[in-house]
Amino acid sequence: MTRFEDLVDLEGLDATEVARLRRVHDLLVQAGPPPDLPPALERPPSAPADAEVKEFPMLPRRRWALVAVLAAAVAVLAFGGGYLVGHAKKKPTSFETRFVVPMKGKNALALLRVAPKDDAGNTPMELEVNNLPQQKAPGAFYELWLTRDGKAVVPCGVFRVNARTTTVRLSVPYNFRHFEGWVITRQAPTQETPGPVVLST
Amino acid sequence: MPFVTSDGELIQRAATGDRSAFEDLYQRYARPVFGLALRRLGDRGRAEDAVQETFASIWRSAGSYKPDRGPGAPWLYAVARNAIVDRARARNEIPSEIPEEPGSDPGPGDRAEQSWIAWRVHRALEELPEREREVLALAYWSGLSQSEVAEFLGIPLGTVKTRTRSALAKLSDILGEDVQ
Repeated sequence: MTRFEDLVDLEGLDATEVARLRRVHDLLVQAGPPPDLPPALERPPSAPADAEVKEFPMLPRRRWALVAVLAAAVAVLAFGGGYLVGHAKKKPTSFETRFVVPMKGKNALALLRVAPKDDAGNTPMELEVNNLPQQKAPGAFYELWLTRDGKAVVPCGVFRVNARTTTVRLSVPYNFRHFEGWVITRQAPTQETPGPVVLST
Repeated sequence: MPFVTSDGELIQRAATGDRSAFEDLYQRYARPVFGLALRRLGDRGRAEDAVQETFASIWRSAGSYKPDRGPGAPWLYAVARNAIVDRARARNEIPSEIPEEPGSDPGPGDRAEQSWIAWRVHRALEELPEREREVLALAYWSGLSQSEVAEFLGIPLGTVKTRTRSALAKLSDILGEDVQ
């Protein structure tokens, strides 16, 4: 819904102010949504001297000007997720979040909170899904995948939903730099290949 | 509230080797650059490469920025445009719709104007408080109604509308003459 009058409480505003807000509204509609940054772009370009990059090499196709950027990003650790963090739903939790990835689908939303990697190399994640239909078939489930070239390629965990909002915690040992995003698929019982995508970044 | 440090000041600091200034620029512009590249290249992988090349270019050429010639945003736009054009040329696909100068009058077509508007708006969104940015994103682009946004966020409907109004007012301040 993007009707200006439906989105904004105009009570008490004079005509000049209404016109000013409407102009911004029009620009927002015209600009469209900002893109979700893929995991590989969550931080500034880094370099081999960066401890994390040493541990997880860059994709071969990355043709960075590494030497030039080396000095720029050596000390970079968790980079504030900007707009992504802006999607984070604030709630009391002990889950330490490094960045948040919003996921959208037809009539459903999800937030994937990603924690810093632990000492063993695992990355804990907390997935909050909202409004996914409850599976009726026994053994049916949803599955979170990392994607590459638009395809679900690496499984990150399975779950079921039984309420309007379901929160699950998962953990994976993968290097996210090798992937472009996440999707959630609907899986039939015993299905091992990716099913239909119901949510995506 | 607009960022305390201007883009131009950050570029000048980056030119002296200030890494934190470079990281601040990345935080402000990674999404607008990615959006511009995605629209022009149509491929997420190549757009990612263009973002990385853009910021490598910013780091390399920050010293060429002249504050007396204008603010930082158009300079950054030009650097991004060049990186994207280079990426397209690598495949013999020149995205001619990207204007040489943002907002320059003769010539730019609707798509070029659209690119510049999206660049400015997405950059301005980065300056909003998280809770207001979140409400705008859900209200404008999630397909949810205001009531559904309120339910999703667990806040009253009136608060959603108040935050939307406040966010639009702040965006207007940030965008300045663009909304005149």
